[in-house]
Amino acid sequence: MAAPTINEGAAVHHKPFFLWRHLNKLRWLTLIIVFAMLVLLPFLHIYQTYTAAHAYDLLSPGEKQLYDVMESIAAPFVSDPAEDLDAVKGNTWSGSFWGFKISDPLAALGQVAASLSLYWPFLLTALVPVLATIIFGRFFCGWICPATFIYELNSNFASWLRWAGIRVGNRRFDKRIKYGVLALGLILSAVSGSVLAGVVYPPAIIGREIYYTIAQGGLGAGTIFFLGTLLFDILVARRGFCRYLCPGGALYALLGRYRLVRIRRIAETCNDCAKCNVVCEFDLDPLRDGFGQECNNCTACIAICPTDALTFTIRPSDYPEQGPGHLGQLYRKQQATEDTDAAS
Amino acid sequence: MKRRTFLKRLIAGAAMLGTAALLYGVTPLLAPRRATAKRNYLRPPGALADDAAFTAACIGCGLCGEVCPPRCIKFHTRDGSATVNTPYIDAAEKACILCDKCMEVCPTNALTVMPRGDINMGLAEIDQTACYPWVDRGICGACVSICPLGKKAIGYKMWNQYRPEVRAGCVGCGLCVEVCPHPSVPIWVVSRPNDIKV
Repeated sequence: MAAPTINEGAAVHHKPFFLWRHLNKLRWLTLIIVFAMLVLLPFLHIYQTYTAAHAYDLLSPGEKQLYDVMESIAAPFVSDPAEDLDAVKGNTWSGSFWGFKISDPLAALGQVAASLSLYWPFLLTALVPVLATIIFGRFFCGWICPATFIYELNSNFASWLRWAGIRVGNRRFDKRIKYGVLALGLILSAVSGSVLAGVVYPPAIIGREIYYTIAQGGLGAGTIFFLGTLLFDILVARRGFCRYLCPGGALYALLGRYRLVRIRRIAETCNDCAKCNVVCEFDLDPLRDGFGQECNNCTACIAICPTDALTFTIRPSDYPEQGPGHLGQLYRKQQATEDTDAAS
Repeated sequence: MKRRTFLKRLIAGAAMLGTAALLYGVTPLLAPRRATAKRNYLRPPGALADDAAFTAACIGCGLCGEVCPPRCIKFHTRDGSATVNTPYIDAAEKACILCDKCMEVCPTNALTVMPRGDINMGLAEIDQTACYPWVDRGICGACVSICPLGKKAIGYKMWNQYRPEVRAGCVGCGLCVEVCPHPSVPIWVVSRPNDIKV
């Protein structure tokens, strides 16, 4: 008889803000926008070069088609395409927005390692991502990374394969391997005098490979590597590269260790269904309050939770383990035994 | 037992890294090759003079190529070990127009903004045994006409002859190389000798 009263009280005090469970859709939207921009920008650049050369009459039919499509996309936003379209350039590895430059923290760290010197104008371009990571944790991995877009689709593809009866890899390794990859990448960068950390970092690879494919007339070496990671994810471990090997993910996880905005479980409304653990791409343990520095605030667990038992909180560390959810069987049994113990 | 699992993991990790390295290594073999004539690759304008320092400073983001109006900046997409993803200009194919956009957009110190006269991509050199006016096979002057820097960079040897000569003001943009009509292109850009100052 005690359980319903607890639930009513919990429902009043611990109802998460209703929009949190829709953030996962917003996340997919941002991923799609980032990826679409990476595809669009090289085409816009080609269009820019055509306009700068006043060469419409000299273009081949295919090039004219590209010109027309890009003109229809850009015309509402710019008056002088050759100059104005320079406003947004680049990729997630390093980009320029109306003259404001933003770089990946791994790019900054890799360049410091490779050149063994500090060039502050460049290092400061990584300041905004670093601050955002200190507040929101490893959010880049879930919300922006163009490789995540493909990796999550790849995960879904793997689950279709599993549904079709084909065995896909679901091995588990030590998540700390990626910190070793980060250290090794930086050491190799320093030894070779070249930013090699960026050569094994999927978002950087995706950004430049899309650009190479569209504007440079061919894929680069990174594509083969990226296809290798996709195969690794299907055959060996789900989301294996991000979980266990990604050097940038390692850096973001370290920076976001004491993040302020994190997801927490509300034990009062949790029913131990473990859907959050199944849906978590990073193999975390929301069911037992195990988020840790690896969580990228992707909100997939919030979106799937059937009892609204996951929400955001602002604190620099995870909640200590709260025990079984109060709507679950285990908790009720515990309560029953405690009640009988108290009675006897 | 613990040591064994540690060794197992070590070997597994090494195998994974080895596979990754192998994937990178085999790519150049799979990639289609262009005719491998010895090409004179230039770095974009404003590049660090020391090429090792340039390779270390460049993060391979591709921004310089993405703003280049003539699309002359290309990248070592499949070739080059340490220089992979760094930009270059193949002047014979498409030359730099010295518009400064790549220097302005570069987030690192690989390309730094500098006045046009300080740019040092190299120095043009003319083969006087092949150039048409030099071997009295007619008048040309294409290289002199195209030069964005004018008389201080390239001019005629004598006022009534169309024999071009490169002067100390040349910054090595390579437009003369691109425009040269001679099939063997008897003009090219070499690295600037130390005794010739702008």
